[in-house]
Amino acid sequence: MKMLSLLVILPLAGAFLIPAFARISTNLARVVGPLILVYLLSLIIPIYTAFEVNQSSSIQFAGFIPPYGIAFYIDELALLFSLITLIAFLMIWPWGKTNLDANHQEVREYSLYLLLLSASLGLILSADLFNLYVFYELLAVASYGLIAKQDTNKAGVASAASLRYLFLSASGSVMLLLGIALIYTQTGTLNIAHISTLANDKLQNFAGFAACLLILIGVGVKAEMFPVNSWVPEVYGVIDRRLTALFAGLISKIAVLFIAKVLIMIYQQEFILNIILFIGLLGVISGELIAYRAKDMVRMLSFSSIAQLGLVFIALAIPGEVGLFIALALMLHHLIVKSALFFLSEKMHSNLDQLKGLYHQSPIIVILFIFLILSLLGIPPLPGFWIKLNLIINLTSVTNGYLAIGFILLATVIESAYLFKLVKTMIAKTDDVHAAYQNGQQKSYYFALILSLGLLATTISITKVSDSIQNMAKNAANKELYIRSLVPDISKQHKLSSTNRISQLTMHNRQQEL
Amino acid sequence: MVLLYTDFATYLTTDIILYTGAIGLLLIGLLGLLILKNIFRLLLSLVIFESGANLFLVLSGFRTHGVAPILINSQDNISQMVMNDPVPQALVLTAIVIGVGIQALTLTLIIKIYQRYQTLDMKEIHIKLEQDIANIAQTSPLASQDKPQYMTNQTEHSNKGISSGGQV
Repeated sequence: MKMLSLLVILPLAGAFLIPAFARISTNLARVVGPLILVYLLSLIIPIYTAFEVNQSSSIQFAGFIPPYGIAFYIDELALLFSLITLIAFLMIWPWGKTNLDANHQEVREYSLYLLLLSASLGLILSADLFNLYVFYELLAVASYGLIAKQDTNKAGVASAASLRYLFLSASGSVMLLLGIALIYTQTGTLNIAHISTLANDKLQNFAGFAACLLILIGVGVKAEMFPVNSWVPEVYGVIDRRLTALFAGLISKIAVLFIAKVLIMIYQQEFILNIILFIGLLGVISGELIAYRAKDMVRMLSFSSIAQLGLVFIALAIPGEVGLFIALALMLHHLIVKSALFFLSEKMHSNLDQLKGLYHQSPIIVILFIFLILSLLGIPPLPGFWIKLNLIINLTSVTNGYLAIGFILLATVIESAYLFKLVKTMIAKTDDVHAAYQNGQQKSYYFALILSLGLLATTISITKVSDSIQNMAKNAANKELYIRSLVPDISKQHKLSSTNRISQLTMHNRQQEL
Repeated sequence: MVLLYTDFATYLTTDIILYTGAIGLLLIGLLGLLILKNIFRLLLSLVIFESGANLFLVLSGFRTHGVAPILINSQDNISQMVMNDPVPQALVLTAIVIGVGIQALTLTLIIKIYQRYQTLDMKEIHIKLEQDIANIAQTSPLASQDKPQYMTNQTEHSNKGISSGGQV
């Protein structure tokens, strides 16, 4: 289990060593990244398969006794997301670029990819607020670099998009830091498990709520949350589609996971959950309305992604493990569907009006597209339907839940309006059929096919998949388990103080007698 | 009751001055980020915002009359002494280093943008960026879709007006 710390260390070391390797041999620099990815996969797969349902464990660094020092928390959820991250990076790894030029431009890109990988895995595993902040900043820096690097043929555009993103994201990071500082002034600790034991006494005040909102806004930038998502269409518009699939599919989910971790472990007050509900609602409505008006594929998909993440936030507003279960299901579903759609969009003309007659040019792409959007909309018996159904049923027990249900259904109507309009354009008959189809990379098409087959497999074995996600959510939302494995000493005291003070006193007396 | 200067001075402890400073820096930075248009000034606002957060973080471990944890002699009465919390100091060091890295990165991006767009005005860069994105996607920019013809002409004129300003 200790080996799992390599998940963060190896890519980080690789990222900084690749430029040095490139001086020795360019071929060496080219294989380092994939080698690290494959090695980490071979490390994590046996652990994941052997992992039991209720198991959890923690890694303490440098021999500090918890709650001091840095800790990683490992449960099934963290392992699953690490696995997904590694596979996603293997998919989008820039294999095709063979011409290493004199300036080692590609080598820098490899470095940035590894840096992004390291930061993502760190965010998934870390159980310490400040460490989360550091990995979040690392993730941000790597993504600014990757976005600005897409500049080669459209000089300057990607830099401008990157800068506008940077101002938003860096202000968000400062707010996150401020939130963490506020929590530290109230509790005097940074370990999430330790804060969780103290939250009821010390964070039920103005400073605690302010800290929560600051963290929410700070991390919300990456999670495409409603008021701070203006970067999404700009950045996705200028970068490579496969990188877009990574950002919209995976990176946003990792940020949501961060928010979910803080909400589940520290803040479960109705006031805060209600704020999340309204933020999510505004995201859903604004995203769908702008997507309705979009005229190009990337903008439409990116605003639809904002709307889907709004749904995830609404799910997080349902307290406890049920909310986490639905949020997780929505996240995994969106991860598969939206990545596949972005992969597919590489084969299509980017202007929606030009897509006329695509079906007659390449029927498989259109059929895959229809299959994916049907699941996105929530048409039975596809997984999207069961998730939305669960969300709506569980929202009835939440304050303002009926309002949310109304808006979700309205948003679904808007969503189906623009998606079906697009499908109608695609299957329309036309004389000039050559315009719609683009000769993108064949690989992207295969990735989309694999992801769609995965979705089909999920549809067939829906009960099994939903059971396993439910178990995962149950464990991830289990505060006792989290506290017990991260801060075992404090958990004993906490349990005693919260359950029965008298027994604690008698035990103390008995110890004195002994 | 008359509030005398001496009364006021007792309230004006180091803590309050420092916290006011931190929150003031935060507000100045946030305001700058919200209302300024020049990207270089935006960067400076970001720097001020960050300093505010850093000051706030280091203050969370500060105790009035506290000493550094190492500076304790064996003769001192330890129970009487107040120790400053060293953890936020370590954290703020990390935060400062990250901040400096991001500032350097931002400056390189600003240079690249100036080379491409010949302007430092955020509004103008935004308009040109939207135009460029629309060109990449081979569509027209979103905002002009429902606007009457005479209004689009007007905005084009006003855009030309901006380009003279917005430089340091």
